[in-house]
Amino acid sequence: MQTGPFNKILIANRGEIAVRIIRAARDLGIPTVAVYSDVDRAALHVRYADEAVHIGGPRPAESYLRMDTLIEVARRTGADAIHPGYGFLAENADFAQQVMDEGLVWIGPSPKAIATMGDKQAARTAVRRNNVPLIPGTEAGMPDDELIHAAKRIGFPVLIKAVAGGGGKGMRPVEREGDFAESLATARREAESAFGNGDVYVEKLLLGARHIEFQILADARGNTIHLGERECSIQRRHQKLVEEAPSVFVDLDLREKMGAMAIAAAESVGYVNAGTIECMVDRDKNFYFLEMNTRLQVEHPVTELVTGVDLAKEQIRIARGRRMGPTESLLEPKGWAIECRINAEDPYSNFMPSTGLITTMILPTGPGVRVDNGVYSGSEITPYYDSMIAKLITWGETRSEAMLRMRRALSEYRIMGLKHNIPFHINLLNSISFIAGQFDTTFVERRFNMTTYEQAPSPDELETVAIAATLYAHRKRRLASQVVAPAKRDASNWKWMGRFERMHR
Amino acid sequence: MKYVTIINEQRYEIEIDNDGSVTINGELRDVDFLNLGGSLFSVITENKSLEAVIDDDEGKIAVMMSGRLFETQVLDERAMLLMQRRGGGSVGSGEVHAPMPGLVVAVSVEHDQPVAKGDTVVILESMKMQNELKSPIDGVVRAIHAEPGQAVDKNDLLVEVRPPVAAE
Repeated sequence: MQTGPFNKILIANRGEIAVRIIRAARDLGIPTVAVYSDVDRAALHVRYADEAVHIGGPRPAESYLRMDTLIEVARRTGADAIHPGYGFLAENADFAQQVMDEGLVWIGPSPKAIATMGDKQAARTAVRRNNVPLIPGTEAGMPDDELIHAAKRIGFPVLIKAVAGGGGKGMRPVEREGDFAESLATARREAESAFGNGDVYVEKLLLGARHIEFQILADARGNTIHLGERECSIQRRHQKLVEEAPSVFVDLDLREKMGAMAIAAAESVGYVNAGTIECMVDRDKNFYFLEMNTRLQVEHPVTELVTGVDLAKEQIRIARGRRMGPTESLLEPKGWAIECRINAEDPYSNFMPSTGLITTMILPTGPGVRVDNGVYSGSEITPYYDSMIAKLITWGETRSEAMLRMRRALSEYRIMGLKHNIPFHINLLNSISFIAGQFDTTFVERRFNMTTYEQAPSPDELETVAIAATLYAHRKRRLASQVVAPAKRDASNWKWMGRFERMHR
Repeated sequence: MKYVTIINEQRYEIEIDNDGSVTINGELRDVDFLNLGGSLFSVITENKSLEAVIDDDEGKIAVMMSGRLFETQVLDERAMLLMQRRGGGSVGSGEVHAPMPGLVVAVSVEHDQPVAKGDTVVILESMKMQNELKSPIDGVVRAIHAEPGQAVDKNDLLVEVRPPVAAE
């Protein structure tokens, strides 16, 4: 069933998004079932859910991607709906179909909508019927000579993209006509070795383009609305790092036009539930449909904060077959919201992921601060899942208030035990270009680095750090020498150690 | 107790007396250093109140203060002496270890191949990302201990690079 009544939700996911969905369900008074792999026994989503079921090994293929196991657990626990979160099986049309075939409610769009939007060419064909503007480009499966003609017609620079690529992989820009033949051969070779499919297509390369997306909400009673845009141009290797709503680049007129386009794109596949239309917008405010994400997005909280709509709750309401809460598209967001993705990645060494035990974590609080978090002090970050451990979101009446609150919140946030990207965010929030809204999707990679601070640490600050580090080492050494001192005491060192620890509890 | 503490290649001479008083580069400094539990500390110095999260890892002390991470090295008299004997800063090791558990996607170098510091030697997949592991020094590949498709643990030795003979 795509919609219908249900009384218990199984969450086929982990981490912060599983916690987010548990919270929405709890607010609605619906019990939840969490699932977990070997390494997630102590995870927050397992602690917060009403029921928790172990489903297998740490690798996603052994647990969170096992469709039959998930459905079997739903049966066993009496869960009559499944929420997929994002990632894992969220955009797997086969799983959505299996869930529905079992008579369970799938909290998401129809398998057909997922499948159509998940296939680049099918998506382009579908939305074109509703007059949605597309980036000028070719179809797949064209021979080399036709592609060269097409590239000339589109106009350089162009982008050669692998049909089987995605997530930033399998793309090659070509600046000049003279370079095209050679780049095409390389692109085909790379696509063949990386994806086992050498088919490519050509697309116009937009300069100074921004990545702006629209939140869509549609219920099964024929209502489709948008909840405004999110600016997602701060990315690295096509991974979003910071998102905000609204966008400094979008005025009321552009919001109306792009919003209407987003609704038309969603309606082209009869979309029901929450979804996102991703667009590229060039310097002249020409906008093009890029793709539709048929799930709740990582960055949905910024929209929630400027609209007052609880998107996870609306997803559940829509899946129950009810009318969604908001009835009209949102053209005037209230205030401004920014989200920083907190990743276990070291910004000082090329964003290398970091694993290990979180020894200390203190979350920021105070006015306008929200943390969507999946970990705690004592959590083990394993190499099996992606590196995002939390999202920090701030809200303000204005963009500058939201940013100042973000700076405050980042400075309160403490995570130790592993490397994380909070220093990157602090550095970004000190960047004049970012503060002024002057950035595009190439900003982090081309115009930003971690070695030059726009505000360098002061000599006083460095001295304080030196003193703190030295006092720390000094105390630690003294403690060690006390414990290992030869037996002048009557008791053994072990006994003495035990007493010492009791004394200091 | 006398220490030399190094941050960002800057050296600070710090002395901590038995009564707890602190001198930095010869100047007495009023410092109140309090553990708030775990690795969290409060530092009040000249009335300035700051918080620091301090952890240590293989001799390096990491201090997170004002939202920034500082890697420091605290050397006592014995450690300083040892370092002087070794002739100042030791030449970096040419060993490339796995910084985390993962799957070796590719080994980009061959035995006896000359490499420059910063050249990619191994691509390791972990946390759904492909990470380029770079050579820490200029030199020649002496040994390769990993092959594509191999699962490795944290700190496993993957590639050894030896400094070029001419430099010795």
